[in-house]
Amino acid sequence: MDFKRFLKGLQGIVGEQNVVYHSDDLLVFEYDGSVDRGMPEAVVFPTSTQEVSRVIKLAHKEGVPVVGRGTGTGLSGGAIAPPGGIQVAFPRMNHILEVDTENRLALVEPGVINLDLDTHVRKFGLRYAPDPSSQKACSLGGNIAENAGGPHCLAYGTTTNHVLGMEVVLEDGAIVNLGSLARETIGYDLRGVFTGSEGTFGITTKIAVRLLPVPEAVRTFLGIFPDVETACTAVSAVIEHGIVPAALEMIDALTIQAVQKVSDAGYPDDAGAVLLIELEGLQDEVDEIGEEVEAALWETGATQVRTAEAAEERELLWVGRKGALGALGSIAPNYFLVDGVVPRTQLAQVLAQVAEVSRKYDIPIANVFHAGDGNLHPCLLFDERQPGALDKIVEAGTEVLQVCVDAGGTLTGEHGVGLEKKEQMPLVFSEDDMAAMVLVRDAFAPDNSLNPGKIFPDGKKHTPHTQPVYPGMPA
Amino acid sequence: MESSLGDQLARLLGGSAVLPGDGHEIDGLTPQAVVRPADRLQVSEVLRWASAEHVSLLPRGGGTRTGLGNVPRKADVVLDLGALDKLVDYQPADMTATVEAGVTLASLQEQLAPGGEFVPLEAALPGRSTVGGILAVGSGGPLSHAYGLPREWLIGIGVVTPQGVATKAGGKVVKNVTGYDLNKLYTGSLGTLGVIVEASFKLLPIDPHDGALLASFPTLADSIAAGRKLLHSSAAPMGCHSITSGVSRRLQDSLQAASQDLGLGEDETALSFAYFSGRAKATGRRLDEAAALLLAEGATAVQRIEGRAAKGMLRWVTDAPSEVSPSSALVIKVSVQSRSSARASAECGEVLLFGEKPEQMADPGFGSIRLFWPEPAESPARGVNNEQPILDAVQKTRQIAHRYEGTAVVERCPLPVKRQIDVWGDAPDSLSVMRQIKDRFDPLGILNPGRFLGGI
Repeated sequence: MDFKRFLKGLQGIVGEQNVVYHSDDLLVFEYDGSVDRGMPEAVVFPTSTQEVSRVIKLAHKEGVPVVGRGTGTGLSGGAIAPPGGIQVAFPRMNHILEVDTENRLALVEPGVINLDLDTHVRKFGLRYAPDPSSQKACSLGGNIAENAGGPHCLAYGTTTNHVLGMEVVLEDGAIVNLGSLARETIGYDLRGVFTGSEGTFGITTKIAVRLLPVPEAVRTFLGIFPDVETACTAVSAVIEHGIVPAALEMIDALTIQAVQKVSDAGYPDDAGAVLLIELEGLQDEVDEIGEEVEAALWETGATQVRTAEAAEERELLWVGRKGALGALGSIAPNYFLVDGVVPRTQLAQVLAQVAEVSRKYDIPIANVFHAGDGNLHPCLLFDERQPGALDKIVEAGTEVLQVCVDAGGTLTGEHGVGLEKKEQMPLVFSEDDMAAMVLVRDAFAPDNSLNPGKIFPDGKKHTPHTQPVYPGMPA
Repeated sequence: MESSLGDQLARLLGGSAVLPGDGHEIDGLTPQAVVRPADRLQVSEVLRWASAEHVSLLPRGGGTRTGLGNVPRKADVVLDLGALDKLVDYQPADMTATVEAGVTLASLQEQLAPGGEFVPLEAALPGRSTVGGILAVGSGGPLSHAYGLPREWLIGIGVVTPQGVATKAGGKVVKNVTGYDLNKLYTGSLGTLGVIVEASFKLLPIDPHDGALLASFPTLADSIAAGRKLLHSSAAPMGCHSITSGVSRRLQDSLQAASQDLGLGEDETALSFAYFSGRAKATGRRLDEAAALLLAEGATAVQRIEGRAAKGMLRWVTDAPSEVSPSSALVIKVSVQSRSSARASAECGEVLLFGEKPEQMADPGFGSIRLFWPEPAESPARGVNNEQPILDAVQKTRQIAHRYEGTAVVERCPLPVKRQIDVWGDAPDSLSVMRQIKDRFDPLGILNPGRFLGGI
């Protein structure tokens, strides 16, 4: 293929200013939030569905793989370009097209930032429930690709429970609508199977999401516990009361130390675990259930319980949790975040085994996690400049995943398989299981030209390609 | 001579697993046999055999919705999954359960109740409806506004492929993005891609208190408008239905049998049903506020029902479509955006069949409207074409649904009409992808051939 001519073709579709191909400019597109790297040949910023369609059609004709990219906050290498591939990114398609308060839905372009949508619709007394920790930066198109979660997914479900429909471009450039604006539609639930397909089925160009009313009352509880094990008994106690909080989050001692270094969360020095519980609903139920939650926290051994209802005060309680990942930078330059999920009842036992992995490999592991739905986030701390550090981390991370799977859990709760965990897929799925999944991909993308090399094991170790494959492209 | 399919199956699984197909007619087609595998391995054996012999299989759970779908192209053997009836795993503290596909909804809920939990699936005739059947159909019930559809609660699935290979997707944890979400693909696929043998669900705690309101309104439109207001208030119910008198009088009849009175006046034409559950105090407040709101919106009477009686009323509303359908000439489920439910209901209410307007059950929160046109008062004279009026009513209803960007699924109609239509309606532009999926999963077309959208 004549790459120069291909670039000209892309420029012809989206305009010269909307194609990036100099290696200096491409640097910021070679990574996402994971540890993998890969330099795209070019990045294209379309402004319309038609442009996306024409770009993908051209790439398909030329045999160039295409990766959709939101804002690069993903944690599994999902947005990393394969060798010779281009990225289609959406900073120019970031408009909230419509907010329909009667139907409680919003129509948005894929580049809209998650928190921007939520902030916008709150003016109408509505909210967008899925709230990934990166919600200040992550885009809705990326949320769909990964089926993103977040703390409040405990009560409200993940992205897939909030997407009504989407317009997508398939690998041959065809524009297809999946789902509908009505809650129920006919045929296979393509919108459902597309959500979480990690960019391998198509590229989303328009999204209809469901909005929920803002609850009358919200109350947040923060419990300080001597250790994670005790805090886990509090989680069980709350669940046993028949309570499903809006959020149920935990951070462990090492994370608390990191948070204390960089913020004024005000945890006591000897805190071994911090548990956050948020209740939402009518004032009456928040009051009634709140008393039960507070009692459960004390009964299970909390050394301190704080509670707040006003938004600013609740925000202070959340500071430590929301700033946790950033705070880890005060302990180590890099972290490798494992997204394993286990049945809730296995949490304490699994965390003990994770601590063993930490000792065995001599790697500090900080835990920040969605305790309510058993979604662990052990962060393996390291310095990638140390020779061999990354290999050791990946090995330890795999062992953590094995622990999760052995406990009846799985590899990833909300971050996706991507490049990072594809070789671990056989831990949970047989070849037959994966073959059925590949049939669906073949139906959407028979040439496998969208985000190839992700999700399924191929025995190929991802080697970072930090230079464009075609150097010296037109100046 | 080739042996019959029944004989072949008897050799495969033993004679006790095979019944004659007589009496199991589906859309005018009588299957040659009904086979009832004892376990998942036998399901695989049946599918391997069917693939080798190019035999079409119609999977069946409790048989409560076998009328749904187009006339099958072929109906050789009914695959009865009723023997797969075990609760595989239930951990109350994890709020998850794994069950075999043939477990009935009632039985599952009974087994979960001691753990203080339930699965938010809704289906008519729960004593017969099976988990696998509910998933294959994929529909919800009166509380869809709050619970959504079965797709929201399924976290893992075991499926035997048409080739007889046991596969799984998802898992037993409540949050999972490992691999493609085939749970969503199989849910609502009407058994056309594989045979569901096992399912894992996330559960909810049983609320300690239940309450319902029944409000009479002069017109259906008033009832729907009031329902919309209620759903957007702080006293929002879990679900809200507007029901015309032809349906609500049946409710009255069954309640009178239980010495309860709806207090329906002679001139009431519509009833609003709203359901609430939660903690006692909050539920009480919602019931108070909602009753006041309904009265302010023009209700002529509001009855408040709590506890078991409220649950009984919810049961009745859930079962109502299957109660009313058998005496209807035509049943259509229209799905539109919720804000359009009032207008769509009003316009559909003007579609006459044999001179009669349809009875309606409308869910203005979820945006679905079920329309029931009664059988003609007198059976038509010989030679009179009864099909054309029904085809016309279907056509008109579809036009209305399309105007509101919705769909209209024909759930019941006479067989000669069914042979002439796609009961699902006009296919969306994604049909080609759906066909690709079907062709790849079931290239021989042995599972439920022709019953799904676009003849899939």
